[in-house]
Amino acid sequence: MELEKQLSTHMASTQGAEKDQAGLVSSAPVVETRALSKIFWVGEEEIVALDRIDLTVGKGEFVSFVGPSGCGKSTLLNLVAGLFPASSGEVLLLGDPVVEPSRRVGFMFQSPVLLPWRTVESNVLLPAEVFGMDLGEKRRHARAVIEAVGLGEFANAYPNQLSGGMQQRVALARVLTYEPEFLLMDEPFGALDEFTREAMNLELLRIVQSAGITVLFVTHNIGEAVFMSDRVVVMTPRPGKVSGIVDVSLPQPREIRMMHDPVFADLVFEVREILEQSRGE
Amino acid sequence: MANERTDLTAGPARSKPASGKWRYRAYSIAIAVVIVLIWELAPAFGLIHEIILPRFSDTAWALWTLVNQDFFLRHFTVTVREILSGFVLGTLIGFVLGIALAVWPVVKKVTYPFVVAFQSIPKIVFAPLFIAWFGFGETSKVVMAIVISFFPVLINTMVGLESVPQDARTLMRSLRATPLQIFWKVSLPHALPIISAGVKAALTFAVIGAIVGEFVGASVGLGFLLELYNQQLRIDRVYAVIFVLAAIGAFGYFILEWLDRKVIFWRDDNNS
Repeated sequence: MELEKQLSTHMASTQGAEKDQAGLVSSAPVVETRALSKIFWVGEEEIVALDRIDLTVGKGEFVSFVGPSGCGKSTLLNLVAGLFPASSGEVLLLGDPVVEPSRRVGFMFQSPVLLPWRTVESNVLLPAEVFGMDLGEKRRHARAVIEAVGLGEFANAYPNQLSGGMQQRVALARVLTYEPEFLLMDEPFGALDEFTREAMNLELLRIVQSAGITVLFVTHNIGEAVFMSDRVVVMTPRPGKVSGIVDVSLPQPREIRMMHDPVFADLVFEVREILEQSRGE
Repeated sequence: MANERTDLTAGPARSKPASGKWRYRAYSIAIAVVIVLIWELAPAFGLIHEIILPRFSDTAWALWTLVNQDFFLRHFTVTVREILSGFVLGTLIGFVLGIALAVWPVVKKVTYPFVVAFQSIPKIVFAPLFIAWFGFGETSKVVMAIVISFFPVLINTMVGLESVPQDARTLMRSLRATPLQIFWKVSLPHALPIISAGVKAALTFAVIGAIVGEFVGASVGLGFLLELYNQQLRIDRVYAVIFVLAAIGAFGYFILEWLDRKVIFWRDDNNS
């Protein structure tokens, strides 16, 4: 695909993750959480959102987080992104503790968060603008990424002229344009219909694999988590803890037909069981 | 999303947009014709005394003769200058204070009670004071216009800047944007539609401020002229001056409306 070519040339520097046949990553961890905890105060009440989370994620790995609402999945992403500080414990990114947001990290929300007064291209260039990069050079790159997410004809359109799925593609293009090594995604396609979401997921997988991006992916959808991931982390409700990790043994690259594979069904069931168990505790 | 919803509800009316638009326009014109007819006939048949409501034709004639007087332009210019100066300065002051209150929470916490207290004063009570402080000239009227017009801009600027969605702030923070970048690239454009509504209100208030100032003490200006004709019982001319003032307000408003549409092109309610 043209898409892979464009992205791999632009993101050559971030490539190099080596996966074995099971899709597991053999290199050293690039994301590490150590006894990571987060406590929120609501008035006098103490809410433990995350309770001593220990995790390691390898380079190029795709890790999903599933769990009931309020299990701290989003909080975990925010902490890895450095958007707010941990109550105790720490996050290491490439061995360095996270204290503030980093340009190596791209964040994607459930809503596209586009600026309605900017065209698609101008929205995609927002990070480059904020970083103070040379826009002339970046513009060509932005065009290529917009092309890659299938919005080539809409580069000069405004967000309110686009459908929800297209808007989320713009958000994806925006985060890819600054070539992050890590992608933190908080239910990025949760608001989209089933078909659009499936298409977006496949596209996302192609892109992150060709660019060697490490992904932390929060979702409510167990099937989606299994289909997308190398590992699925199942979390318990408040206080958020890891109740189990499922290695996904499906081969790479993932294809839709694998959803009919008995292995897929078994994995989904396994995740579901861990979820049920943690709920019963 | 919001668009789709309005589209659905507006569906039937929109299926024939052109004819619908013209029908409403025809209704408006019909109402205007009825008003003019009553205005003309009620005094003519003695239903209303002509001192209270001079006939439409007399008022129109009074307007024509008034605007052709040599002295009219002088009064007109002075009042327009007062309105414009008051409006521009009031808007600027309201804008700057609104930003200050939105950007520095401490400033807001400390000064907001005073802002509210000040707003609860009916500002026209200051008019006699301003005459005493700034004299009978244009300054006292401009100050009056400023005092009465800055507030809607202040409130709308503050509210607009504070209503930036959390997601957009988080996005900018995840990009390590500076507060200034967040302000210019996200907060201010986001607040513009709300600020614009405040600016439109400020124009109307500036007209009131200037006229009230002239009522209380002036030797020139449309407010002065209105007061003068009222005392002379030249009620047709009073109506003529009122018409001129309305025209000034309407003209300014349409300019602002036009600017609003040019600048804030991404507004959801563009079609309404």
